[in-house]
This record gives sequence, structure tokens and C-alpha cells, in this order.
Amino acid sequence: MEIDSDNGAAITIRDADKDHVDLVLKNVDLSVANSIRRTMLAEVPTLAIDLVEIDVNTSVLADEFISHRLGLIPLDSTDIDELSYSRDCTCDQYCDKCSVKYELMVKCNSDSTSNVYARDLSKFNNNKILGDPIIKDKDGHGPLICKLRKHQELRITCIAKKGIAKEHAKWSPCAAIGFEYDPWNKLKHTDYWYEVDADKEWPKSANCDWEEPPDPELPFDYESKPNNFYFDIETSGSLTPDNVFMKAIEALQLKVAGIAVELNKEGVEGNDASNGGFTTYGKTPGNQSPVGDSYGSGSFGASSWS
Amino acid sequence: MSDVQMEDAEQVYDLDKIKLLPGSSEDGTSASFQIVDEDHTLGNALRYIIMKNPEVEFCGYSIPHPSENKLNIRIQTYGNITATEALHLGLDNLSELCNVIEEKFNEAMN
Repeated sequence: MEIDSDNGAAITIRDADKDHVDLVLKNVDLSVANSIRRTMLAEVPTLAIDLVEIDVNTSVLADEFISHRLGLIPLDSTDIDELSYSRDCTCDQYCDKCSVKYELMVKCNSDSTSNVYARDLSKFNNNKILGDPIIKDKDGHGPLICKLRKHQELRITCIAKKGIAKEHAKWSPCAAIGFEYDPWNKLKHTDYWYEVDADKEWPKSANCDWEEPPDPELPFDYESKPNNFYFDIETSGSLTPDNVFMKAIEALQLKVAGIAVELNKEGVEGNDASNGGFTTYGKTPGNQSPVGDSYGSGSFGASSWS
Repeated sequence: MSDVQMEDAEQVYDLDKIKLLPGSSEDGTSASFQIVDEDHTLGNALRYIIMKNPEVEFCGYSIPHPSENKLNIRIQTYGNITATEALHLGLDNLSELCNVIEEKFNEAMN
């Protein structure tokens, strides 16, 4: 089947709930599908605890151990666009515009062990949803941070910052992304290990029902390309799965736009056509590109390329 | 207020984000570029979309060293457009493809 055919890209949503969406992306190239997968995993900004100031820690867990656990707590990042990156902010260290502050003050006074949960984090300026710890269990506790014995105490201040999972996995909005194409392995991108017969020893993928089984009579089609991509996006809760998808596309476009802007600047050699450079692309409004109109302006939904 | 912030953010783009590598032809129909802080996420999709352009003879990318966050991309055209133009068109087309996918996703969600 041709890629970018008359129909163009298509999406079928097979299943969706609060923290999970299962979709099929069709009629795009493997490289594009993989780009989306990679951006969702690693380049969608979220909020996570990044700085931890420990006043008192008499628990059995080491300071850095607790700090690490705090970092991994999913925080509501729906309104993350309101927050700027701390490195871009005009403030000295951190401020309200680039961070969210929490306090964790707990002491065990009972004879039985007491648990410290994410709900015990008290957020400063509590009139926003941004930065609320994600609590999904029916008791309303949230993730367990630490356990305390009698007289043990924690006095901790946390600073949460905006970041992406390329820097640290705690910023990933995704718990996991299932990604599959060609469930029948018609393209032979996978080489199954076997003892006697690979077909009998390996279980069939659930996505096999969505594609025709191969005809053993037919010769190998060396020209075929993967066309259907089965995504299963599962989030940690900091963003809803549809938000993750949308923001990934946004992040990808921002990357592309960033390069396009830089490419237009004087700094790039060969950009200045009047001085023997190569291009005037985008420099003269109204006449964007000498040949752009022949194929560059058609929408991808009805592309003329074959 | 937020508009002002947006404009500021626009200007924070890295000044040395992309540069021309040695080895371009006189007329600019073939050239190599180096992009910093990008990886296979952008490289492979960009390579594909530039290669789709019928005016482009060759496009390939490489991450020269895994410890350096650099992306090299080579473009050679048949001669009707320059490599820089092909790269620009590739970026525009990739952005547009993203728009279409976003649109289809929204349609599917509703």
C-alpha cells in the first residue's frame, strides 16, 4: 500500500480510559510513527520534584533515597504551560513562575509504624491544580514515600520544576508505550528464535486480528512497508493520555520550528543569497520558495506525492 | 502578559542550533548540516520527509558520536532546488504532517 495515499494519515482509537489510550495510526511512515513515540516518552514537559532540602531525617532511609522517591511522584502537569523552565526564568534560583514548593513535615508518635504518603506533601500557594500529587487509590493516600517508627521524623522542603524525560526519566508523562507494527512479521523485521517451529512456539499478537494473515504461497514482498502502527499509551497520571499525544505533536513541531527559525538567520552560511549564498527561502514574503508551490504547498491529507 | 513571555521564549532559541558543514557544492545543490541537541527523534523523520521530495536525489543522517548530541544531515538534490531549500521544505512538510496527525487524533477522540 502506498504511504500518504489519498486518505493520508488516519487514526483509530480502539480503547481509552483515564490513564490509557490504545490507538492505531495508519498511512504514515515508520520514521514518523517512531518520532511520535519517542517524543511522547521523552520530550513532553511535566512537573517533578527536583530540589529537596532536608532539615530532619531520622527515618531508616538515607536522604538521597528519599529524595529519589520524592522525584518519582507524579504531579499534576495539565497546566504545565503556565510554568517556565527554571533555567530560562529571570529569577536567581527558583520562584513561583518556574517552580512549585512543597513541605513534608511528619513525625511518628504512635507505637505502630506510620506511613508517609504523597498526600502528606503540603503544597504552597494551593489555589492551583498544577503540582497536585496524583492520587488514584481509593483510600486517597497516593504513593508511599517512607515508613516511620516511633519518634522518627521527616522535615523536608521540596521544589518541583518543569523538565523533560530526556534529562531524567522522572519527568516522563508515560509509564509505558506499547508500540507494534506488522504483527504477522510479514516484513521479516523480527527474527524469531525457535527450537523446532517458530509459529507454534511464539504466541500470536493481539493485533494479528487487525491484519490479514500472510499467504504462505506468495513470495516475500521486498517492497512492502509497515503501514499500521499499534500504540498503547499508558500515562503515570501527570497528564491525560490524549494530552500526552497532543503535547508530543506540539513538542515535535516546536523542534521543527526552532530549526526553521535558526536556518533563516544570518548565522547559517549559504543563507545569504545576495552574497553568493544558496537560498532566499522564506526571506521574501509572498514569494516563499521558487518551486515550493509545485509540491510543497499541498496538504498532506491529499498529497500529490506518490 | 503571557504574550510578552511568548515573545521572550521565541528569542531564546539556540544561536548555534544549525550550521553548514564543509563539503557543499558550489551551487549549493548538495550540502551537509549539523544540528545540535537533536537525535533520531527528529533525524529519521526529517530524513524521510526530505527524501519524499521528488527534487531530492539523496538525504541521509547520522549521529556521528553517541556522546555528542549532534545530528549530521546530508542533502543532495537533482539541481532544481538547493539543499537549504530542500531542508526548509522538509521542515515545513513535517510540521504540516504533524498538523494532520493532530487533527485526525482530535477527530478520533471526539
